[in-house]
Amino acid sequence: MDTLFVSIAVILAGGALGLLLYRQFTLMKLVTVVTTAAGCGIGLYYVLPKLLQGTSATASYQWLHTFTLAFTLDSVSLFFLIPIFLIPPLALIYSFHYLENEKKRLRAGVSYFFFSILIASMALVVMSANIITFLLAWELMSLSSFFLVMYDYESRANRKAGYLYFIFAQGGAMLLFAAFALIHSHSGSFDFSSFTAVPEQAKLLIFVLAFLGFGSKAGIFPIHIWLPKAHPAAPSHVSAIMSGVMIKMGIYGIFRIYLLLEPATPAIGQIVLVTGMITGILGVVYALAKQDIKQLLAYSSVENIGIILIGMGIGMMGVSEQNQAMAFFGFAGAFMHVFNHSIFKSLLFMGAGSVLHKAKTKNIEELGGLMKRMPVTGRSFLAGSVAISGLPPFSGFIGEFLIYYGAFQGLTGNQLPFILTILAIISLAVIGGMATACFTKVVGLAFLGEPRTAQADKASESGIAMGAVMAVMALSCLIIGVYPEPFIRLAFSGIQNVSLVSGFNTDSFMLIVTQLSRTALLFIAIFVAVSIFRKILYAKKEIGSGGTWGCGFTQPTVRMQYTGTSYAYEMVEFFNPFVPIKNAYSGIKEIFPGQTTWQSEVTDIAETGYQLYLTTPMLKFISKLKWIQHGHIQLYIGYIIVAIVVLLLFL
Amino acid sequence: MESVLSFCFAVAIAPLLPAVIQKTKAYFAGKQGPPLLINYYTMIKLFRKGSVYSTSTSFVFKLGPVVGFSTSLMMLLYFPMAEVAPLFSFHGDVLILFYLMGLGRFFTILAALDTASPFEGMGAAREAFFSTLAEMTIFAILILFFRLTGSLSFYEFFSGDHVIDLMGEYSALLILVVVGLYVVMLTENSRVPVDDPATHLELTMIHEVMILDHSGPDLALIEMGAWFKLLFYSGFLARLIDPFHVDNVIVNGLLFYAVVTFIYITIGVVESITARYKMPQVPKFILTPFILVFFVIIFSMGVIQ
Repeated sequence: MDTLFVSIAVILAGGALGLLLYRQFTLMKLVTVVTTAAGCGIGLYYVLPKLLQGTSATASYQWLHTFTLAFTLDSVSLFFLIPIFLIPPLALIYSFHYLENEKKRLRAGVSYFFFSILIASMALVVMSANIITFLLAWELMSLSSFFLVMYDYESRANRKAGYLYFIFAQGGAMLLFAAFALIHSHSGSFDFSSFTAVPEQAKLLIFVLAFLGFGSKAGIFPIHIWLPKAHPAAPSHVSAIMSGVMIKMGIYGIFRIYLLLEPATPAIGQIVLVTGMITGILGVVYALAKQDIKQLLAYSSVENIGIILIGMGIGMMGVSEQNQAMAFFGFAGAFMHVFNHSIFKSLLFMGAGSVLHKAKTKNIEELGGLMKRMPVTGRSFLAGSVAISGLPPFSGFIGEFLIYYGAFQGLTGNQLPFILTILAIISLAVIGGMATACFTKVVGLAFLGEPRTAQADKASESGIAMGAVMAVMALSCLIIGVYPEPFIRLAFSGIQNVSLVSGFNTDSFMLIVTQLSRTALLFIAIFVAVSIFRKILYAKKEIGSGGTWGCGFTQPTVRMQYTGTSYAYEMVEFFNPFVPIKNAYSGIKEIFPGQTTWQSEVTDIAETGYQLYLTTPMLKFISKLKWIQHGHIQLYIGYIIVAIVVLLLFL
Repeated sequence: MESVLSFCFAVAIAPLLPAVIQKTKAYFAGKQGPPLLINYYTMIKLFRKGSVYSTSTSFVFKLGPVVGFSTSLMMLLYFPMAEVAPLFSFHGDVLILFYLMGLGRFFTILAALDTASPFEGMGAAREAFFSTLAEMTIFAILILFFRLTGSLSFYEFFSGDHVIDLMGEYSALLILVVVGLYVVMLTENSRVPVDDPATHLELTMIHEVMILDHSGPDLALIEMGAWFKLLFYSGFLARLIDPFHVDNVIVNGLLFYAVVTFIYITIGVVESITARYKMPQVPKFILTPFILVFFVIIFSMGVIQ
């Protein structure tokens, strides 16, 4: 346990050193990256063997003489520590070439400082063993990430995005406080282990409150709307760890509160599963509808949170149905997907950042042809896209396979659980298909074809630090997909301390995993053989080149290429009215018409819903109370006195 | 040994069978039609040719045909053609195989978008959409089959204690599945009424328009991949409806391929007597079998306790 605190201290020291050394820009980056990476390395060195052995540890300290800061490490915390220590160093190495503007060196220093706080606080969140420690770490995490989002605070849109994130982070925290307060009122203790004392009838309410509180961090529908705003606003390495790692803390919270409460009611699993399905499907449809590459990736994170929740819901239903296989593979699949998603989503955000860095735009309808201009970014992004679409032989498939496997085990039930399991499998299939559509769109439009603007035409490959990190991550997506066994074992050891599913024998399943790996290898072998065969066929032959066949049309322009909007239109329209499309067409009026315009926009129903039913009525009400604010300082002092008197007399 | 022979036979015969469809269509049109071996000639012709590549394309364009062909070939390796055990099989192989088909589609779509052509983009968008809908039916069928047999592999569906068989215990349920799978086959293989494989120059198509720019051996790979895929789907269907089971492997195999040929003929008949649907109608057509199969799953709740 002490090793972990050392590692956290080193990480924090890295951030603080960076801030102190901000005058020497390159030195600052170097020191921060090296120190933080060393800290994370120490952490991983401690976590991995502990996780595989399945040992747990506890520690507690007195704080301010009144509170106890308690920490505990079980397999679940250890598992979540892996992405926390694995992804941030990569993101920092990436940032070495991403933060290039020397004029903003102080800002970069501050950003590094908060970055290290974010890593440390995430580690503390999963280590916490009582309410006080947990909430302290949780708030630290929310606040440090808020400052990271506000990096480019000059832009009004970014500030708005930051505030929106702040509201959602604090609103979520408020729900968590409510949930924990309820628990405390029943158990009278801050300790996590006292949660079982909560009476059964109160558990559902507590879980729902905590689920919404954690869900606002994870990004479940409809409390996800901060993601598509905050991710485009934040620098790409920050979005990478926020989306790859931080939102998983919400998932951790949901799972932890479930484990601690051990609720017997089947409603909880059903709530989680249904939320997962809605989140997954709507997330991917909105992702498909967006043309801003980072916004699209943010919605895709919502989708993946949905997949993880489907896995978790399958697991919880397996527990309440007393179907051990279903429970085990549901949880294991969710864990596997947490791990995989942390890698490929970070990779994709880094790819998006690389594009933004060089082509100066995030709009895929202004990009194109980048595969030739940015070969490393393009190829890694392609690998990440295949992985996130859940296609073999890449990593995304492994997590989904486990979830599918768990869900199929649940098909033996009857009535509601059976119907929900069917729907879960169908939703996973739909999500997979739509994710394929979504990521073929990004790769096909941004990286393939012809550049649509001059800026995209001039783009060149990013710095070596960025390229190297992306290449490594892309490669690891492939390796996990082809040799999944050690990683699946990692996910299995992540749930070994979960008493609900302990003692499940995985030997027969490991045989299937070997077969999966063999199938992936067989496919790759066939692929290589066919490629060689193709090479032979083309040997010594005339290879011509010319323009794309335009079916006889001789004057093609780059603007004639299919656009992202038109590519997605039919699919998005299919989900109307859940995903409303607003079109504005100026029309053709005269015999010789001038320019016409056509605009299409997809608005998030959650966002419009909040506006219509929450913020507008609230503003109306609050503006009626404006008379309280009048600017007379003596009256303000009067308010204070009245408030104190009221407090003293009545409380 | 049997498995290897069965696989080789399937690969060898895959180009022959689509000619049956063409013959059927020619018969309906009162024409003589191309020779039965037409596809072999086409293949040899394409293999001899070189290629012209668009200046817009990158390496992804060349990857498309290779990946598409490899994934289709994988299906034949894992599917028990002619009631002979496949070369490879394991519990859970259906999941990875249908996802591999998704991989093939992924790269076909990317290759189409790589050409910077609006036609191919249009085809790609439709392919992405319609195959997602078809996938719903496929997974519904997998759910039902798991319910009936407790297995997740093509081979286990048709061997073991509980076998999927139209003449068996759940025949009433399976009739609807056969209909559903037939529609999926038409969709996934871009046949009428979803798509029209007959010409290369129509805006209203899906698959053919995506491969406009491919030529030479690349095109041959795509065509062969398509034939394998069609053979896989009709083989799947044939395993469901094949009423003959003889102990002799060769006779059994011949009977099986007779049923497969029958399915190809029905495709020809469907293409001759129906027109392609308008695009907005296609999703409804593809979703119909999903509803059917879903209905069957709900039924199965009462049948199997």
